[in-house]
Amino acid sequence: MAKAHLRRAFVGLALVIIAVLAVGLYRAKSDAAKTEADVRRLEITIAETEAELRALRAEIAHLESPARVEDLAERHLGVAVASESAALPESAIDTRLPAPRAP
Amino acid sequence: MRPIGPAGVFAPTQAAPFVAEEAAPARNRVRLLALAMFAVLLLLAGRAVQLAFSGDPLAQPHRTASAPAPVARADLVDRNGVLLATSVRAYALTATPARVWNAQETAAALRQMFPELDRDVLARRLTDSSRQVVYLRRGLTPNQREQVLALGLAGIGFQAEDRRAYPNGRLAAHVLGFTDVDLNPLAGVERGLDAQIRAAGESGRALALSIDVRVQYAVEEELDFAARAAGASGGAAVLLDAHSGEALALASWPSFDPNAAGAAPEHARVDRAAGGVRELGSTMKPFTVAMALEEGAASSREVFDLSQPFDVDGHAITDHEQILGPVGLREILARSSNIGAARLALRLGGARQRAYLERLGLTTPAQLELGRNQAPLAPRAQGRRDVAGLGFGYGLAATPAALAGAYTVFANDGARVEPTLLARAEDGVIARAPVFAPETARQVLLYMRAVVTNGTGRAADVPGLAVAGKTGTAEIWGRADGYTESRNFSSFAGVFPTHEPRYVIVFALDEVGQGGAGGAVAAPAVARTLRRVAPMLGLRVDAPAR
Repeated sequence: MAKAHLRRAFVGLALVIIAVLAVGLYRAKSDAAKTEADVRRLEITIAETEAELRALRAEIAHLESPARVEDLAERHLGVAVASESAALPESAIDTRLPAPRAP
Repeated sequence: MRPIGPAGVFAPTQAAPFVAEEAAPARNRVRLLALAMFAVLLLLAGRAVQLAFSGDPLAQPHRTASAPAPVARADLVDRNGVLLATSVRAYALTATPARVWNAQETAAALRQMFPELDRDVLARRLTDSSRQVVYLRRGLTPNQREQVLALGLAGIGFQAEDRRAYPNGRLAAHVLGFTDVDLNPLAGVERGLDAQIRAAGESGRALALSIDVRVQYAVEEELDFAARAAGASGGAAVLLDAHSGEALALASWPSFDPNAAGAAPEHARVDRAAGGVRELGSTMKPFTVAMALEEGAASSREVFDLSQPFDVDGHAITDHEQILGPVGLREILARSSNIGAARLALRLGGARQRAYLERLGLTTPAQLELGRNQAPLAPRAQGRRDVAGLGFGYGLAATPAALAGAYTVFANDGARVEPTLLARAEDGVIARAPVFAPETARQVLLYMRAVVTNGTGRAADVPGLAVAGKTGTAEIWGRADGYTESRNFSSFAGVFPTHEPRYVIVFALDEVGQGGAGGAVAAPAVARTLRRVAPMLGLRVDAPAR
């Protein structure tokens, strides 16, 4: 009789352990899967941000492109590309400067 | 029904314990409960097994319209880190035909934004119920996507993708090349360096090219100016750091915008720097002189009488202007004498001449990391006329890039360095292939300096920069009229500064009209270019005296 009770108790305990293990495994895997999903979402966010960063870098490169800068300099500042005719010899600088003030 | 309790507790003859008839429903409920619990446990066990072996399918990422595709191609930057090419977010315009309410109205609305779409094709795709999703247009910008979204069209969606963008537009277009909408490389370094670009993209780093956008821009601008002024059909310019072989600028004219390469005319997409060959003309003469000196076929003290036409197997070779009096090798180059170059070439002979041409890299395609390096037309000389012609630049057609590579011998004490479009590491090993003795290279460099100070290349002189070089004016052969003076390939190939040679520059203008000699159209363009780029290279240019 006692043996039968013991066996029944073992069976019951085993079932409980199995159930606990199954639930535990399910929760562990579910948590891991949820974390994995979060990581993937973060990776997507990072990739999106990187894409925006690349677009911004491309925009900067476009804004700083030599052709655009030269065009803006000519239109708004009247500055042209330096040429031989625009260069002055050192000796000519004095003639372009105002006369020194008297002390 | 088996009695409750362990077997053997009751003897077969023993009367069963009293069980009331009304207890049967209770037993059934207990059985049902047990079955239900068993089923739940079975489900849990099954789920546990599934999770253990396959993972949770619910945890897989959901691919939405905005989900990014991995970036397959690395950014391209110049030697100073300036961005040249990158991959930016784009969108494919898609439709789910089953959800489109009115295909005609949808097509009309989309055509207002994208007039290039064919109305009939659009309507057919929008009603193609055999497909779940159809593609309508690729490469939409984020702004275009917003505009389409604002239309509120049912069944219209987007799929995220990457598009290659070239923020500097036309700058270095032929160097960079372009890709198709699926990022498959089609031209330029996009194609020539495809494996490296993908590998760099995988590791998240940029790929550095050898070009310098400042130098490239100046070279392209001056090439554009010179080509338009001369009425040329095309042009090319190359600027090399001869010590490392790095191309600081590689330009082809006309140019195109690689952001819209498909819309560019075919002739604009042709790379004339490395993808087109021409007979090079007199820019080959320094090699002939160097070969003669190297082989002892002539000496720097020798004088020549070049006053009369030189007959080679019944064909008279003449100079553009008659050269009177005894002249040396220096004058042969300075005055670009065909007669002198032909005589030297014949002294060398075809075999030795060919060996040098091969070592100069003029008989094989250049190794630039482009989608296409045009192979030269370099048939072996069949007779004295061919050998003589090769002496002054006929009978061998090569690219301006190959010519620039050959000119590195004059900046490297006679050794040739292969041109490259990749930025070299500072401690990288540079292969130098000796072609001439250092003394020979230096001697010819001095002769080329005389070309610029006293000869046909005077227009290339830049005070303070000590440019050495050689002009070239090759008549272009046509099927109908043979060689004609009305169509010239005008060029200048030079090395600077002469006292410490480091850089090689080649300017070439295609199909220039009569009078468009290299000294008249290419040499001035070189001077203008060098005045602009010299400060970028750390070189000083003297201001003109006033």
